[in-house]
Amino acid sequence: MFSTRYVYVYTLILSAFAAISLAFFITIFKPLHDSNEAASKKKDILSSIAGELGQDPQLMSNEDVIKLFDEKVEQLVIDAKGNIIKDVSAEDISLATEEKKPLEERRYPLYIFKSKGSSIYLTAVRGNGLWDKIWGTIAIKDDMNTIVGASFGHQAETPGLGAEIKDNANFPKSFIGKEIFKDGEYVSVKVMKGASDPKHQVDAISGATITSVGVSEMMYKGLNSYVAYFNSIKNKG
Amino acid sequence: MAATQEVIKSEPIISFGKQEKKLIKDPLHINNPITVQILGVCSALAVTTMLKPALIMGIAVTLVTGFSNLVISLIRNTIPKQIRMIVQLVVIATLVTIVELVLKAYSFDVWKQLSVFIGLIITNCIVMGRLEAFAMANKPWPSFVDGIGNGLGYAWILIAIAGIRELFGRGALLGYKIIGPSEEFLINTSSTPLLSWYQPNGLMVLPASAMVIIAVIIWIQRSKEKSLVDIS
Amino acid sequence: MELLNVFIKSAFIENMILAYFIGMCSFLAVSKSVKTAIGLGVAVIFVLAITVPINWMISELVLGPNGIFKTDLTFLRFILFISSIAATVQLVEMAVEKYSPSLYNALGIFLPLITVNCAILGAALFMVAREYSFSESVVYGIGSGFGWLLAIVLLAAIREKMSYSNVPEGLRGLGMAFLLTAFLGISFMSLMGINPSVYFVK
Repeated sequence: MFSTRYVYVYTLILSAFAAISLAFFITIFKPLHDSNEAASKKKDILSSIAGELGQDPQLMSNEDVIKLFDEKVEQLVIDAKGNIIKDVSAEDISLATEEKKPLEERRYPLYIFKSKGSSIYLTAVRGNGLWDKIWGTIAIKDDMNTIVGASFGHQAETPGLGAEIKDNANFPKSFIGKEIFKDGEYVSVKVMKGASDPKHQVDAISGATITSVGVSEMMYKGLNSYVAYFNSIKNKG
Repeated sequence: MAATQEVIKSEPIISFGKQEKKLIKDPLHINNPITVQILGVCSALAVTTMLKPALIMGIAVTLVTGFSNLVISLIRNTIPKQIRMIVQLVVIATLVTIVELVLKAYSFDVWKQLSVFIGLIITNCIVMGRLEAFAMANKPWPSFVDGIGNGLGYAWILIAIAGIRELFGRGALLGYKIIGPSEEFLINTSSTPLLSWYQPNGLMVLPASAMVIIAVIIWIQRSKEKSLVDIS
Repeated sequence: MELLNVFIKSAFIENMILAYFIGMCSFLAVSKSVKTAIGLGVAVIFVLAITVPINWMISELVLGPNGIFKTDLTFLRFILFISSIAATVQLVEMAVEKYSPSLYNALGIFLPLITVNCAILGAALFMVAREYSFSESVVYGIGSGFGWLLAIVLLAAIREKMSYSNVPEGLRGLGMAFLLTAFLGISFMSLMGINPSVYFVK
């Protein structure tokens, strides 16, 4: 048998050893983790305009993505009334924390991708899928109306059904060319079975009704928060 | 968990003879951790909807069982009996954290996909079970081999289940389309010519299908190997 | 309403066992009779209700960037969680033994089993991943424990009945337990269309 003192000393040495070895590994991997994390969010945002970029940001290296993002993307934070909020960067805004606040206090990130003299507005949306949260980035042309790209993500949708919003490249593609205003009035884009309106509807994923309804709702509510800002830009120009 | 301790006497420190072969081979079939020992069914089955995360999970579990067996076997004579469990848990948790850090650094997407399930390797009973049943009573080298063997026995079941589920549930393997209609089909109605009659089986992507597949594996195994049949 | 939402979700829709297979080892081993199944199930609720909030405090007050060390120590999460679970279970066991011998007789033998039950660590890790608040984490602990109890008692009841059935040789015992879990899982699937957040969260 071992004495009580031995047990204490043993515990101390063991925990010290475990903590030191982990601290050693974390210092080695920390730079890689940071670059992965920084690039991951930027990749997700830029994925919505993969068509415009001519390549898939998910396949680009971390350095390239960060460089592209820093050079071409301008960040803005707005509120639901369309006012620009200063002294805060869009990347620090998390919709997950914002949606817990009352409606009038929420802030929304807006990324403006500038290339060849034109701008593309990348908006962030978030809503409920079947199991958990779903989110997406919707890219809108500088007529503040036409969608030029979209990308979606999800926490825990069913693989093969709801998860297709992310896994199936054709789903986000089907949003390209749709318009969010109808005769000047905000209508968003609806995801539905047997879509017939070429401007405001896209086909749903078969077997994933609730996720599809969730995407419709997320698009409607999410883009609605940017409408005031879009209108202010339109009126100015 | 209450398995009796198996003691192997081997003279040289590192060798690969008959005994080591047996240590690797047994867990693959006759003493498989999932289908026979019922250890470690928990954590990793939730990642078997697709082949890639299952492969990574299999490798991670194999490494953790191997190295935790090795470490515990090295310090087995110094561990005070009163705090045996917590010492084992700390060693396992450290190794799992290292695996997670490596994964997060080199395969960020898979890390995001596996999320909490990497952490759950800690309480995967197979790791703890092998420490108790083998590493606490054996020399480092056979312990390491035993850990790797059990990890592999666990991994092949995981990979088999994931392969079946991805092939029949999504018509793909490792993300490459093999059977069934193309991606566009889900949205409009064009389809690929090859094997496009196959409609992906939605049941296969549900968690329950993993259980059915294990049950079938057990059924086949026990029908062949009568000694494994449950008498109770 | 948010809390009710968390409870329903954790107990029924995202049931630990039937949706994530977490805590399967003891689930399969201890589900041969209803009585022991209830004992273990209650012990799991008890331990989850205590450890999930404790781990919430650890991850917020010690490990997080706003904690006492003001640095991000999340890489120590696994070690601290599992140690706090082991320590809590030990303390609970001693306290119960001292103050309530009758409860100890009912739960005592199950408590040591619980340290390595994946459901306990699983709940703690899910709690972090889903960014629950403190009150949500309490409800989540109880809810997922309740879901676990529900699943194990259901399986035990069916297995008791199954002992009168003529099961094919190879499927006897373990094989049948897996199949039954699968069917339970499928029947719980019918609950997934219920999206509580739609009804309860404005």
